[in-house]
Amino acid sequence: MESRILQLIAALRASGVRVSLAESAESFSAVDIMGIQDREQFKLSLRATLIKDVKDIPTFEKLFPLFFGTGTPPMMGGNPSDDMTPEEAQMWAEAMRQFAENLRQRMERLMNGEPLTKSELEALGQMVGLNQADNLNYQNWMAQRMMRALAFPEVREALKALMEQLAQMGMSRERIEQIRQTIQQNLQGMQEQINQFAGQRLAENLSERPRNENIDSLMNRPFQALSDADKKILQREVKKLAAALRTRIALRQKRMKSGQLDPKTTIRANLKYQGVPMEIHHKDRIKKPKIVVICDISTSMRFCSELMLSFLFALQGQVRKTHAFAFIDHLESISEDFNSSNADEAITSVLVRMPSGHYNTDLGWSLQNFNDSYMDTLNSGTTLIIVGDGRNNYYDPRLDIFSLMTRRASRTIWLNPEPEHLWHGDSDMPKYAPLCNNVLKVGNLRELVNAVDELMTK
Amino acid sequence: MTNLFESTASVKSELNRQKYIASDEIATIVYLSEKLGKPLLTEGPAGVGKTELAKAIAKATGRELIRLQCYEGLDESKALYEWEYSKQLLYTQLLRDKLNDTLGKADSLAGAADQLAKEEDVFFSERFLLKRPLLKAILSDQPTVLLIDEIDRADAEFEAFLLEVLSDFQISVPELGTLTAKHKPFVILTSNNTRELSEALKRRCLYLFIDYPTLQEELAVVRLKVPDLNPKLAQQAVEFVQRLRKADMRKSPSISETLDWANALVALNASNLDKTTLEDTISVLLKHEADLQKAKRQYINPPAPPQPKSKNNYDELGRFSGN
Repeated sequence: MESRILQLIAALRASGVRVSLAESAESFSAVDIMGIQDREQFKLSLRATLIKDVKDIPTFEKLFPLFFGTGTPPMMGGNPSDDMTPEEAQMWAEAMRQFAENLRQRMERLMNGEPLTKSELEALGQMVGLNQADNLNYQNWMAQRMMRALAFPEVREALKALMEQLAQMGMSRERIEQIRQTIQQNLQGMQEQINQFAGQRLAENLSERPRNENIDSLMNRPFQALSDADKKILQREVKKLAAALRTRIALRQKRMKSGQLDPKTTIRANLKYQGVPMEIHHKDRIKKPKIVVICDISTSMRFCSELMLSFLFALQGQVRKTHAFAFIDHLESISEDFNSSNADEAITSVLVRMPSGHYNTDLGWSLQNFNDSYMDTLNSGTTLIIVGDGRNNYYDPRLDIFSLMTRRASRTIWLNPEPEHLWHGDSDMPKYAPLCNNVLKVGNLRELVNAVDELMTK
Repeated sequence: MTNLFESTASVKSELNRQKYIASDEIATIVYLSEKLGKPLLTEGPAGVGKTELAKAIAKATGRELIRLQCYEGLDESKALYEWEYSKQLLYTQLLRDKLNDTLGKADSLAGAADQLAKEEDVFFSERFLLKRPLLKAILSDQPTVLLIDEIDRADAEFEAFLLEVLSDFQISVPELGTLTAKHKPFVILTSNNTRELSEALKRRCLYLFIDYPTLQEELAVVRLKVPDLNPKLAQQAVEFVQRLRKADMRKSPSISETLDWANALVALNASNLDKTTLEDTISVLLKHEADLQKAKRQYINPPAPPQPKSKNNYDELGRFSGN
């Protein structure tokens, strides 16, 4: 039992759920208290101690039955041929004779309701390469292959033929129906057994998979060079980085609280001492930045924008207010999407709404949209962030609006994945750059982390 | 620590007596949390009865409920303790004569300082300690239920203060040393999941996610809390609310809003959920203008089914459009 729980925990970890040592120890004491008689309570005691996030509950619900299955599925034991009349038994034997030896064995077995043994299952798994797979999505496929290896389709065909044969030989309808049902149920039981075995084995493989350690190299790899699998790993990593960053920023904001001299209050407080500064006042409330972020979500920029948004929304507590906008050929406010769900889902829903086309990125028009509807989000407390490559497909860059925006915002930061020597062709970056307070190159995750850190410093 | 509950079944029945309907899941995890002496972190959408659960537990166990409402900017002095400076000052003023007596005996300045140092403890004692909820829960002579409400609203740093309290049930006051709980309070934290809580905090808690109730559960709650509502109407009302939750609303109606609505229906003496009643009362359920409009469009005044086309070939302007 203990090793089974540990395997479950390992599989949870491999599926991306964070389970600490303390929590796994806790789960054991919980199980000690609740006992294992009641399956539901047993499950709850594991879940309450191991899973601390709603998002992870589905993963747990999927893995739990694989490790603590309902046991071997029920089979109708006993051979119905036991209570057959001699004539019926005669007919049965007659009808069976038409099939090949191995098929006959299989069918006899189904009649008797013998489940597969462990070694048989092992052998089957070996045959279809179950041990090399560790993705739970393959469960059905693997089970299908194992059933095919057991010649299930042929057995089904043979059953049909057998029933017809028996009917022709004059066996009573009820008897045939009874035999058919028994076999059907046993067949289903066996399918269940195989399915369970496949799931369990996959989950076990999952729990033995070595943890991914090469995050470091991924962090330094340019966004364009990332595969989809890499992106998934990085998405997960972003959460961790954001947590670390959050602590650092919160600490810095806290320390700043008592650090800064507040001249206005100090002078006013010291008027009664004839202006001699006896009481020094500090700014006790630090100014949390208000952020307006405008992201290019065209195909080339999507991943960078996605990560940036994940960061910003993970840092909600350290920011007073975030307004997020996305553009390809026009601009839309996406703050709503982010308030309701997590960043990757939100991005997906935004992308459905704003599909990208070919060479249709138009920052100028998007700035015009911003000017029309959202200019009031910018004021002296706002940091304006633009995530984009500034490639405008030779449309009007609308520098007039952009300069107005930079003048309204207290600070403008441009995050661009391209280094300065690539700013030519349809890149309007050389025109935008002088208007920004800062242009940072963010070509990979590490640079992005540094940029976010920089953003929150002032 | 005395046992509060004997089994999960008793958790359920005790809470039920306090008019709180606990599912098996809630009962099991509450029982487990009490047995393990671990804080219980409950998460879920607003208004599903997280705070109510804490109140019900307090009532069921006959313990005092100490509540700490979290908000942005909440700090130690509001949550843990504060020295009561004005009281200290007042006492020194009033006790000046007494102080003179004590210090008068000293013959040198150094002697007087020594004398004073001996009495220092008087001024930094629990007498002058203003107990805020966390300290109150720890120092209480009676076992208590401590509710830390909406922890996700507090700043991330505040979670760090909580860690010591939640894992060891003790608080360090520099002037007094470490104050340890006489009775471990039963701690319940609630969160609306507006931001991710720190791993360290989560690790120390058991986790309970309370979602919107099923139709049967919600109906039971309504029947229990608003017994005056007639059963047929209650059924209709709950079905309607459940349907609203499935629709994509900016803010889905919570249980508390269902109860408000049920009360409103009773007050209006409604006997049936007809169109006018719905139109009059739906603002109790939905608090966003956009949601209201949507609900009115979809459920109260559903668009009429398309009229069957008229037989003749004339459109509404009377033009003939071919045959």
